Amino acid sequence: MEEKKLKKGIISSALKDMGISLSILAAATLAGYVFKAFSLTDSDIIMLYIIAVLVISIITSRMQYCLISSVIGVGLFNYFFTYPEFSLSAHDAGYPVTFVTMFITAFIAGSLANKLKRNILIAEQNAKEKEEAALLAQNERLRANMLRSISHDLRTPLTSISGNASTLISNSLTLDEEARQQIYSDIYTESMWLIGLVENLLYATRIEDGKMQLNRSVEILDDIVQEAVKHIDRTHQKRMIYIDTHDEIIPVYADANLIVQVIVNLLDNSIKYTEDDSVIRISVRKEGDTAVVSVADNGTGIPQTEKEKVFDMFYTGGNRSSDSRRSLGLGLTLCKSIINSHGGTISIGDNEPSGTVVSFTLPIGDVKIHE
Amino acid sequence: MNECLVLVVEDDKPIRNLITTTLKMNDYRYITASKGNEAIMLNASNKPDIIILDLGLPDIDGVDVIEHIRTWSDVPIIIVSARSEDQDKITALDRGADDYLTKPFSVEELLARLRVIQRRHMKSENNSITEFVNERLRIDYVSGCVYLNENELHLTPIEYKLLCLLARNVGKVLTHKYIIQNVWGSATETSEASLRVFMATLRKKLDDSRQPLIQTHIGIGYRMMKL
Repeated sequence: MEEKKLKKGIISSALKDMGISLSILAAATLAGYVFKAFSLTDSDIIMLYIIAVLVISIITSRMQYCLISSVIGVGLFNYFFTYPEFSLSAHDAGYPVTFVTMFITAFIAGSLANKLKRNILIAEQNAKEKEEAALLAQNERLRANMLRSISHDLRTPLTSISGNASTLISNSLTLDEEARQQIYSDIYTESMWLIGLVENLLYATRIEDGKMQLNRSVEILDDIVQEAVKHIDRTHQKRMIYIDTHDEIIPVYADANLIVQVIVNLLDNSIKYTEDDSVIRISVRKEGDTAVVSVADNGTGIPQTEKEKVFDMFYTGGNRSSDSRRSLGLGLTLCKSIINSHGGTISIGDNEPSGTVVSFTLPIGDVKIHE
Repeated sequence: MNECLVLVVEDDKPIRNLITTTLKMNDYRYITASKGNEAIMLNASNKPDIIILDLGLPDIDGVDVIEHIRTWSDVPIIIVSARSEDQDKITALDRGADDYLTKPFSVEELLARLRVIQRRHMKSENNSITEFVNERLRIDYVSGCVYLNENELHLTPIEYKLLCLLARNVGKVLTHKYIIQNVWGSATETSEASLRVFMATLRKKLDDSRQPLIQTHIGIGYRMMKL
């Protein structure tokens, strides 16, 4: 099937090249008549044919066209312009030399032009390949960095989980209830952290060339926010989460699962960097043809100098986290590439009187209502 | 002792242990199968009340198990699948599964899903053909009127059709495709977007500050909860 298509393509391009060559030669012949009417010499007409072959060589893709049109050019000149006209015989003894010279000149000029064209094409291709190689190398570096950082960060919770479990297996009778409870809750917390990490990693693998592969459709923003909050509720956080939707139905054109992940990451961050009983507020509104989602907390906020860095990969905000929970610094980077791939923007600012607000925009979805 | 018998179909032993331990702790009776064919046989011989079915089985595909069971049995089926398999979930729901759990799931979530199914089966006898009652909602099929806390609700014809479809399948997750086919009759990209808008409007009309009647399942579909 593919092969057939390819063959068809080759044939149609060959036909096109042939058509072009013949038209140019015909045009040269017509121009030759005009030259003759103005009583210009044979050599001027020969120049016309050489120019025609040059043009053909530049436009068409193969050497054969240059060769064949050189031959045809000589033939046409012989037929139309040498005595006796409209015949392929030539009476003047000098003509054979003229024909050979004309052919050689046309062919050499043509093949040089063709070669030049090829060289340019090759140079362009080389430049493109080089660019691709550079991008690939950059992606590889990014991937290698990520893998290194991930395997390092995976080791800690895995050590804790396997170690704790083995303690329970071998010493369950000697441990008192309080110690056992501590171990259970450690195992739970560490594995929840791993689950969160894996979700983000799954999405990070969809980034290619800094762009996310999207599976977009028209979704209701309110549904997306509700879904994200549902994910958070599961982990029993001691924070108060409010949602302001202004009772408006806002359709957005987005990959719903990815946007859920963005909001989950933002909520996770707000939880990670605030104390118990803090207030987290998600608000949703429409501004022209974009939708704006903000996640605000009343924590301690982020210093101005650090605001630019939070979207960098593997940046983890120093030691400011309220307890020693680890962070891979992948969350906000992922959020940024998800939002940018949607054609939106994400920004970080201060909440009043204290705390942080992260806002992002999404394009409004187009809905035709079918009653 | 819970009278409910659950058939757990899962080939991964730790997950199977997790599910059966949870069931045991909550007084459910259970039987287990690690293969699809075994599940089909056990369903025929033991007639379980609920099946928990993992989609990735070693012998036959979970979807095929559903199809096989559905040829002669209406037993509620909860499927279990990994997160990246949205399409599999949709296929399984379209073939007759009732609900789904996404790995990793919490024990509370599993129990909640079981309760939803049980509640649906217990209360479904209370509803006659002429009337549907679900906590604050009442649909009078004869007059075509809908009441919320006994106040009449004004719904558009499409909203009414949507609500009736969800009510008929209360407790069950309905896919976008299923809803569109049953309400509009044909599946197009535009009607999926407009379905979301209709559902959002309908949900707003039905919700007070209490537990929502209609759940949205992003990328999958909708379900009316049996409250």
